[in-house]
Order: sequence, then C-alpha cells, then structure tokens
Amino acid sequence: MKRSELLSRILITVAILVAVGTPLFFWARTPIIHAQMAEDGGWSPDVIQAAVGKPLHLRLTSDDVVHGFAVGQMEMDVVDIEPGKVTDVTLTFDKPGIYTFFCTRWCGLNHWRMRGTIEVSGSGSDPAPVATPLYVSLGLDIDAQHESPMVPIDQPSSVRGQQLAADLESSNFSDQDFYRANSPYQVFEVLESTNLTETERWDVVSSLWQSNTTSEALANGKQLYAQNCAACHGENGAGNGVFADDLQVAGESSMRNMTGANDMLMQTPVDFTNPTQMLGASPALLYGKILRGGMGTGMPMWGSIFTQEQIWDLVSYLYSFQFDYQGEVQ
Amino acid sequence: MGRVELTRFPIIKSAVKNRWPQLAVFIVTLVGYLFAILAGLVGTPVGSRNFSIVFVWIAWWAILILVAVPFFGRGWCAVCPIPLPGEWLQRGAILAPPDKKPKWLNLRWPRALRNIWLQNISFLLLALFSSVLLTTPNITGIVLAAMLFAAIGLSAVFERRAFCRYLCPVGGFIGLYSQTAPIELRIKDKKVCVKCEGKPCYNGSSTSPTAPLSANTGYGCPWDVFPGGLTKNTYCGLCMECIRTCPYDNIAINLRPFSADLAKPSARMDEAFKAFIMLGSAMIYAGVLLGPWGVLKDVAYNVGTGAWLIYAMVFLAIIFIIMPSLFALCISRFGNLNAFKKRFATLSTALIPLGLMFWVAFSLSFVLANASYILASLSDPLGLGWNLLGTAKAAWQPMLTSILAPGQTLALVGGLVWSARTAQKASTEAQVSSVPVIAYSLLATLVMLWLLL
Amino acid sequence: MRSRLLLLLLVVAGLLVAFAPLPVRPITPQERTFRVDARQFAYSPSELKVNPGDTVTIQLVSTDVVHGLYIDDYGLSVEADPGQTTTLTFVADQPGSFRFRCSITCGAMHPFMIGKLNVGENHWLYRSAGLAVLSVIGFFPFSSLVRTKSKEERAMAGNH
Repeated sequence: MKRSELLSRILITVAILVAVGTPLFFWARTPIIHAQMAEDGGWSPDVIQAAVGKPLHLRLTSDDVVHGFAVGQMEMDVVDIEPGKVTDVTLTFDKPGIYTFFCTRWCGLNHWRMRGTIEVSGSGSDPAPVATPLYVSLGLDIDAQHESPMVPIDQPSSVRGQQLAADLESSNFSDQDFYRANSPYQVFEVLESTNLTETERWDVVSSLWQSNTTSEALANGKQLYAQNCAACHGENGAGNGVFADDLQVAGESSMRNMTGANDMLMQTPVDFTNPTQMLGASPALLYGKILRGGMGTGMPMWGSIFTQEQIWDLVSYLYSFQFDYQGEVQ
Repeated sequence: MGRVELTRFPIIKSAVKNRWPQLAVFIVTLVGYLFAILAGLVGTPVGSRNFSIVFVWIAWWAILILVAVPFFGRGWCAVCPIPLPGEWLQRGAILAPPDKKPKWLNLRWPRALRNIWLQNISFLLLALFSSVLLTTPNITGIVLAAMLFAAIGLSAVFERRAFCRYLCPVGGFIGLYSQTAPIELRIKDKKVCVKCEGKPCYNGSSTSPTAPLSANTGYGCPWDVFPGGLTKNTYCGLCMECIRTCPYDNIAINLRPFSADLAKPSARMDEAFKAFIMLGSAMIYAGVLLGPWGVLKDVAYNVGTGAWLIYAMVFLAIIFIIMPSLFALCISRFGNLNAFKKRFATLSTALIPLGLMFWVAFSLSFVLANASYILASLSDPLGLGWNLLGTAKAAWQPMLTSILAPGQTLALVGGLVWSARTAQKASTEAQVSSVPVIAYSLLATLVMLWLLL
Repeated sequence: MRSRLLLLLLVVAGLLVAFAPLPVRPITPQERTFRVDARQFAYSPSELKVNPGDTVTIQLVSTDVVHGLYIDDYGLSVEADPGQTTTLTFVADQPGSFRFRCSITCGAMHPFMIGKLNVGENHWLYRSAGLAVLSVIGFFPFSSLVRTKSKEERAMAGNH
C-alpha cells in the first residue's frame, strides 16, 4: 500500500487509541463513591474500610441531585456532593468501630435512609461504653400514649414564670435530671402543692423549661431542626412538612398490616404545636423518640448520627413550639 | 443571479482536492464521536456534566442549526464521522482508491425505499424519545453507537453511503434545509459531461477510458447522486469526492444567493411531509420543553407509560394529520383535484425556510441558557473530577438572555418573510394564489411566537 | 416606483411597531408575595403575574429535592432545600415576560424545569406578532406585481 495510506491508517489508529483509551484507563482506576437518591440505591459502595490513624481519602459524586456527606457523631466540615462533580474528603479516625455516614441535604422522601458505614479497624483506645439512654433507665415506654390531661388556655409566659419560680422554696425544679425525667404536665401536677393558679403554674413550667436550656442550644436545635426535621414536621412544627402527604400515602399501604386506630396516628409526622401531645411528653421521651426512631413509621433513628448534646438541643427547641423563650435565656 | 465559484481560488481548490485536509477534520470528528460514546456509556449519569450530552445536544446542535445548515447546507455531512469506518472498509482504503478493491456485497438500495420516508421515521423515533435522549448520557451513547454500527453494517451490504442517504435522522432534515443554503456543488459545463465516457464521478475513476493518463483517482459518488445532473443540494453530501475524481475538473463549489434551490420547488410527498415533521416538532418542543407546563414534561419524559403513549399519538397526529390537513384545506379551493398531490407537495416547500427558522429560534433559547456547560465539560468530560482546562468549576450561567427575545423575533419574522417569498415562487410555478400558504405560515409563526416569547 | 414607496411605508410601519412606545397605564406598585412549590420538574404555580414596579417576593418551597430558581434578564436566583423555604425579593422594574429556570441540577429534566414571570403586558409578543402580520401584508401588493410580471414573461415567451 502507498505510504500516505499507511500513514493515514496509523494516524487514525493512534488518535482513537489515545482519545478513547486514555480516559477509559483513568476511569477504570478512579474509585469514586456514587451518591444516588435512596430510592435508586443510595450510596454505592455503602461500606468503606479504614484503619485507625490512617487518613481515608474519599472521592464522592452525585448521580442525580444535590446530596451531602457527613459522618455521624464526628467533628468534620459537612460537604455538599453536587451532581456530576467530584468532592474530595479526607477523614482520620483515632478510635476503631463502625461509623455511620449519611446524606445531609434532602434528596427525596427517603433521604434519611441514605446511610452507609465506615468500618474502622485497628487498635485505639477501647471504645467507650454507650451510655444508657435516660428513657431506658427510667423505664419509659416511649410508644405509649402521652396525652396531657390538661393544657393551658393561653400560651404560658416564661417571664412571669421566672418571677414566680424565684419565690418558690423547692429548688429541685430547676434540676436538669428533674426536667429531663418529667413532662411539662407532670411538673404542672407537682406544682399543685403550691398556691399558684393554674395559669401561674403553667408559667412556672414554661420558665423551668427555659432555664434548662441556653440560647446557643436553642439556636443549634433550630438549625438541626431546619436541616433534618422541617421537611416532614413542617417549618412551623405543625406536622405539615413538604413530605407529610407522601408519608401518609406511604404509611397507608403498610397500614393494612396494622391493627387499631392507634397506629394510624403514627403515619403522619408529629405536630409539635399540639399541646395535648407535647405537654404530656417528657424530654426523656422525646430524646428516646429521636434516638430510636419510629419503628415502622417514617421517623428516622438518629442514634448513630447525632451526639447526645445535639439531641438535647433539639429537644429543647421542640418545646419552643409550646413555650415562648423570651428575654434572657441563660 | 450571480454565482461565485469558490473552487476558482487555488487555496480552496487544493484544500478540497487534496484528501489530507478533510482527513484531518475527520480525525477530529471521529475521535470526538467515539469519545462522546465513551462518555455517554461510562461517564457521569448527570447530563449537564457529561461530554456526550453537552457536546452533542448543546455544542454540536448549536453549530449545526445556527451555522452549518443555514450557511453551508449539508456542510456537516462533509465532515460527519458516522459513515467513515464503514466506508473505509467498503473502499479498502482511507485515502486514494487501492489497487485491489475489497469484495463487499455492494447491493443496490431497494427501489421501494429510495425516498426519505425511512429518514422521516428515524427522526420521529428520536423525537418521540427526545426528553430522555437529550438528558440521559447512556441513552445518547447507545444511540450514537447504534448509528455507527448501522452505518458500518449497511456499508457491508449495500453500495455507497446507504445509511447517510436513506436512514440518518439528521440527514433527512439537513438535506431538505440545504436547499436554502448559499453554497452549492454543481458542474461547470454540461457539454464536458456529455462527452465524458464512463462517468467516473458516479462510477469511480477506473471506468473512464477517455480520461487523460494523468487523471485523478477517486471513488464514485457515495451519495448515489449523478453530479452531472445535480440541480439541487438536497441529496449532495458535499463529500467532495466527485471534485477529486472528475478527470476534466468540471465540478465546482459555488457561492450563490440563499434558497436558490427553492426557485425550482420539488413535488415529492416524502419531502413535503419532512417539512411538516420539522415544523411541527419545533412547535411541539417549544411548548413541551421550553413552556411552563410541567404536566407535558412529565408525560414526555415517562417513556413507556400510558400517558406517554397518548403524548406520542398526539405528537404524530399533529404532524401527520392536523397540520397537513389544515394546509390542504388552505390550498384546496384552487385548481383541480388531479394535480392536488403535486400542488400540495410543491406549495409545502414554503414551509422549508419557515421550519429552519423555527428550529433556529427554538435552539437559541436552550443553547444560550446552557452554553456555560461547554467549558466545564471540556475540563471534566466524564464527571470524574478532572480539571483539564481549569474550567471544571465554571458555574451555570445563562448567557445573553436579553438578546434572546429580539433574536427569536428576528428569526421567526425573517423566516416568515422568507417563507412568503418561497410561497410566491412555488405558487407561480403551480399557477395558484400564494395567499393561503402565506396565511398558513403566518398562523404557524404567530403560534411559535406565543410559545417562545 | 410604486413598489419602492410601498417598501418604505412598510419599513416605517415596522419600525413603529417594533419601537414606538406603547401607552402605559399608571398602576400603583404593590407588594406581592407568591409561594412557589418546586418539584421534579415543574414549579407550581408556573406562571406569575405582576405589574411593573411591584415589589415581588417569591417564597421557594422545594417539595422533593434541592431546587433553585433563576430569573432570565433579572439574573436573580435563589435555592431551597426541602423543609427550608427561602425567599427572593426584588422590584419588577423590567416589563415583559421572563422565563425562570431551575438553577440547581435536580435530576434528568432539570434544564427544562421552567416557569414564566409576566411583568405587565407581554409587549414584546404583541410587537413581534404585529411585525409578523406587517411582513406578510407587505407581500400582497408585491405578489400581485410578481404575478403580473410572470404573465408578461410567459406572453413574451409565447411569441418566440
């Protein structure tokens, strides 16, 4: 064959091999973690191996919508994972164990199910024993009804309550353990021993709740709520978040296996503005619900994601749908 | 009116006759095409960050409909990579003809299919699935690969570029629209062709006993067109082969006025329906893809569902029943029924420039809105986190949206005027009034203006 | 001669249609708030109508994934996660019809997630429609001239 023909054949072959072969080579060698909506598979892979002390370099991309990445109960910068773009994250673990990583930007009804684990091997300090949640040590049945027999006519005033509480003799009301273990109604009942009117007693309850939190905790709780809870529970806590209807529909199909009207309540997100439900729930109960999740409802379990402090902050924020946290909060 | 022969200029002539410049462009387009298939199949599933979607449906489409077709007619066909592997195998060489020709079947394309109906169908197939095709990289990759394999397969069985001439969905409409382009490939002197024996421009250069010994060597027209008889651009793919093969240097590329071919309107039904297909699909796309009606987008995207089936039926009804019937109604009062079919086809050529400008106006909108993806896609074509040119993090930013409305108005009103002019010429030819056709074009333009603005 | 005059007349008419200022009804600007729900791949409501000069607040509520909203020509944008409504407030000082689009990749049909903001009347559409009608009106005096000419040409050809 002529030289020019040979040259042209070589040129074309080389051009194709380079332009197609090179990217293919790099593609095959680039391990990337793909994030997809939970309905389409979630994280893949969803189990990552790591070793104590050795930096873990992760490259993440989204195959559909905006996702985020964070590791539960770990101090780190939360990163966004954008569709078609790659985010690099480096993690270092000093304790072995199983860590949960999760999506931090709402990506559909089942966003919270988008979780994976990082199995960290190696020797480090022995893992600290998990503290028994308060509701367990109190023997609380967090699935039991917790309706408050009585609710205040108007919203209680923490400012008035603060003044009233200052006059009370017993000091154990402001004790954190007392606050955590009792529902607002239970404290209201205990206050029967005083001479206060019902309205005044609710005011004192409100101020007690306020004294057991700080403005930082409330701000933190508010942000956690906005990012994690509002989509279902509503931005104003009324249980009417953007996914509330979808949850009800999803719940209806599973209701065929459930019995009793009791269970129907569990299929829609809780309304935190409902005083009957909220005032009958102790902080420990709410803590338990958040920690453990809703057992077959759409309520996620946050135990592996939030730290204890984060959950208590959330709990104190939830009561702000009932009580006005006015004035100076310690 | 005046024609300027471009191949009169030595630099253009040598660029065309020499096989290397075109080969250089072929290498770029072929490599780009194969890379697009690769990106579609293994790259990120996110369309806006995948080379295949960005470069096929935004960059290439923009260049095609805004530059190549209006100004160069079938200019894209001149550099398209799809027929190349099949053709090189069929010819047994990449450059000049080899001494020994390989034995492929080289069957003649079946007579019944010697029209553009298959291309009408292939375009519509893509159009009905367009919402998925335009947004899903692996579907684009599969379609590109399928076209390549189809072209190779057809080259192994049939002679010449059977895929290009009779199957390619793109070729269907750029052929039709190339009639409006300001360049053409034509013979210089008919008398020379009359004396030529063997007609190597059509049969290949080994068949010419009267050619001088220093004759060029080349292949017969891959588009199954006899260059000596070319009067319209519609089926000439500008591959330049005949210019290389003609032993008498009797073929030229000319610059000419826009839409010179429409002065001699064709009366073919397949082409007439192609005009309706293009006009109708531009309007439907404008409504479904660029309109604020979410329901239509859901229905168009959820391919395979009952709702989509209804959408597909409505789509086809608009194109095959509603629009042509309305057109037929407009023109039916004039002349006798015998020549009706011929009149219908002749007058529908007025819809050719209209359709072209409809597509220009429609494409302007999504190209300007999404052109910013192009730079990012060059830096990170597979969505693997590369940054080849430093532009991987370029933000999405619609461009020049303030000139969009005036631009679309210009295109649509310009297209209407062009269409009216074409209607006049076609009506004169058919000896009827141009008023109904112009009225039809006006109505279509008003609808398109409402959909886009 | 006659055709040149007609052409001139048409051009002047065209310029008028395209550029002559239309009478604007003086309407006191109001404050308007719209709650716009965003889902894959549509806005609800997808068409918003305001008067020029209004102070417009758009509350973007994403109902499934993270969405954005970018207004053509105004160049303003906002994004919202489900559960976190965000607001965009601006003065609608540019009259006309503007598309708004999703600015955060939210799935396959994201590039076609479009709505329309109508600030006052869509004057540009009316002008374009006017120009379209004008352009074909211009053809009828001409078309009769053309046809007459070709009859003449045919007559002349017949003499040969």
